[in-house]
Amino acid sequence: MSRRSYNAGWSLTGWVFLILLLIFAVAPMLWMLITSFKSQFAALKYPPEFIPSNPNLEQYERLLSPKNEVGRQFLRYMANSIWVSTATTILGVAVAVPAAYAFARFRFPGRQALFFSVLFRNMFPAVVFLMPLFIMMRWMGLVNTYSSLIITYLTFGLPLSIWLLKGFYDNIPIELEQAARIDGCTRFQAFYLIVMPLSAPGIIATAIYSFITAWNEYVYALTFLNDDQKLTLPVGLQRFFTEYATNWPGLMAASFIMSVPVVVMFLILQKYFVRALTEGAVKA
Amino acid sequence: MFALISARKGRTLGGVGALLVSSAMLVAGPVSAQGSDTGVDPETWTPEYVRSIAGQTEPNTAEECSQVVPLDYSGSVDYWYVGPNEASPELEHKMYDDFWAAWEETYPNIEVNAQNLGYNDMLNKLRTAALGNAAPGVARLPILWGSEFAAKGQLSELSPEDVGYKTENFWPGAMKSVTQNNKVWGIPTNNETMAFIWNAGIFEEAGLDPEKAPDTWAEVVEYSKQINEKTGKAGYGLVARVNAGNTPFRFMPMAWGEGGGALDEASDSPSYQEVWVNNDGTRRAVQNYYDMYVRDKSVPVSALTNTQTENQDPFLANQLAMVIAHPSEYATMLDRANKATGDDKAAAMQVVDNMRYGMIPRGEDRRAVVFGGSNVHIFNPDNVDGDLDMEAAKALVCFMTGPEWSTKLAWVSSNPGNTRGFETVWMKERLDTIKFLDVSTSMLPSGIPFPPVAESPEIMNIIIPEMLQNALTEKMTVEEAAADAEKKVNALLNGM
Repeated sequence: MSRRSYNAGWSLTGWVFLILLLIFAVAPMLWMLITSFKSQFAALKYPPEFIPSNPNLEQYERLLSPKNEVGRQFLRYMANSIWVSTATTILGVAVAVPAAYAFARFRFPGRQALFFSVLFRNMFPAVVFLMPLFIMMRWMGLVNTYSSLIITYLTFGLPLSIWLLKGFYDNIPIELEQAARIDGCTRFQAFYLIVMPLSAPGIIATAIYSFITAWNEYVYALTFLNDDQKLTLPVGLQRFFTEYATNWPGLMAASFIMSVPVVVMFLILQKYFVRALTEGAVKA
Repeated sequence: MFALISARKGRTLGGVGALLVSSAMLVAGPVSAQGSDTGVDPETWTPEYVRSIAGQTEPNTAEECSQVVPLDYSGSVDYWYVGPNEASPELEHKMYDDFWAAWEETYPNIEVNAQNLGYNDMLNKLRTAALGNAAPGVARLPILWGSEFAAKGQLSELSPEDVGYKTENFWPGAMKSVTQNNKVWGIPTNNETMAFIWNAGIFEEAGLDPEKAPDTWAEVVEYSKQINEKTGKAGYGLVARVNAGNTPFRFMPMAWGEGGGALDEASDSPSYQEVWVNNDGTRRAVQNYYDMYVRDKSVPVSALTNTQTENQDPFLANQLAMVIAHPSEYATMLDRANKATGDDKAAAMQVVDNMRYGMIPRGEDRRAVVFGGSNVHIFNPDNVDGDLDMEAAKALVCFMTGPEWSTKLAWVSSNPGNTRGFETVWMKERLDTIKFLDVSTSMLPSGIPFPPVAESPEIMNIIIPEMLQNALTEKMTVEEAAADAEKKVNALLNGM
């Protein structure tokens, strides 16, 4: 077999693999979208309708219209989720960036031990901390507040964020900062003007990670919040199940809407992510 | 959906004062042949009897509850419950809306911070809250859950007399589920049994009499095989998922029917100390499961991970012939059919027309079904967030456990926990408008409550399903699986 046909064979295999991967990734999303356009009965028909015979937007209209109670509640849940996830992301990045920089640049006694101790918490399943955190939150009077969730999500998200960002800072040559200091920058200016732009991909990746983690979290939101007005979307989605029945089209429509902010955020930040990767070093 | 119902204010009612409406007929009713199980006399509580007593009274809830807590009482209470949501029939939403409107009108100065939780969410949330001393003042829980909180000392003593009713007004079987160490820890709100539902269309397709349900569990195994062979569709809706309440609700009727049990809950005088999970009856039931799943392959292949929700969909899609299902199944399906459009509407109505309800089949020993329902509890003040307003809590409990609201809140899916509800005009209206209610009501005499011991959730939700899984995956033989379960139950009861 010639080298050209050998390469073509591999290329074909690669395409088949990628197409299968694409189907595997996209098909559930597509099915979710199709089901959301069906009536409750049509969603259960067998054989299933791959193209809905009587498609309708009823579920979306109900969920997104503030004119009815269902819509008001759903939109409130979405606003709650956006608030909690955004606050967690901003605070997480604000703490993780200087912490990771400190671990990367400064040498101090116990640095390694402290760094690994940050990761220690992540070695346990999150549910192990449910009870202790609940009791702590109650002592602090934070049960049934967004703060309880934001603090909890920070304790879970920060270790990995610090770990990720430290890797970025380690790869930025310290000579760039030294050159900036020689040119008259203070340490903070060197960090802000030189290191921050170079570490933008890491910061954005960390922000996306923090946001998605908070956006999807269920167990703590269910446990800490006791007021329907304060619930977040993952908990709200459970309202489509009863012990005996499930409203599949409603659940699928709600799930699809829930995925939109994350996808949009990723698409927007992806641009900066790529730009930072390709331009950051040149600018510096 | 998403119904936060926070009942806060309304207008004050004028003075009231009344005696409880007597219900001698019903008081006399719950004494019986299978009295040690449910206290429901099967000779008396026939569908005809249920219809004959309905429509005689129209109790005044405000008057009755005013004897317990004055209507101008001012206070507040937190209340958690499993209520209707987006997957529930519209009628159920309406009943709950009416309930909260009536509550606001009756007790305008008692603020209820109500949280409507999902069935799958509530237990773990409540466990965490109670351990963290942040439980709600009042909670309405499925019948199996309360014993755990009572055993942990997290509930206040609460009997019907505390809220102006008589213990005799509630099914003895239901009272057992709230009794522990000779103390009463709650009040039944509603009680129901499952029924056997089949698709007459598939029966006909398989050459079976479409109007006749299998009478025994052995016949269910035969029917399931025949249906699968003749139509290629699944015969019986077997469920065996671990840690899902649906599994014991469907397996235990078969085990009890065959003469088995988890403990001795099916005996005439249960001690809840004897372990029956490895007796002939239980093994026979596991063998039935094995025959359908492994030998005949006549049930959904996904049974090991299925709950009833996963069975409901193929049943409604005309792909599954027989299930043990809740009384609300018909109302749910009718609701969906009414919302269907175009060609779907006719198909949906066809499925509704093909639905048939019958008695749960009998085993070699008896006919049996889980005596289900819900109970309302008041938590121990030590485990409640803030100060518990006992008067506000009692007012709420009185309001929901009276004959009126225990009937109305059970409208599509259950029966009133307060047996005086059977006499009311609302009961008559239910029977006249919702099909098949009389079937599930007539199963009440065959109902057996789960053991009211703290270990019940672990036994029923974990050990029993694991026994089934061990046998159905052929990890163990039926005998080995039952012996393994017996060992686990003994270890659990002995605190190991």
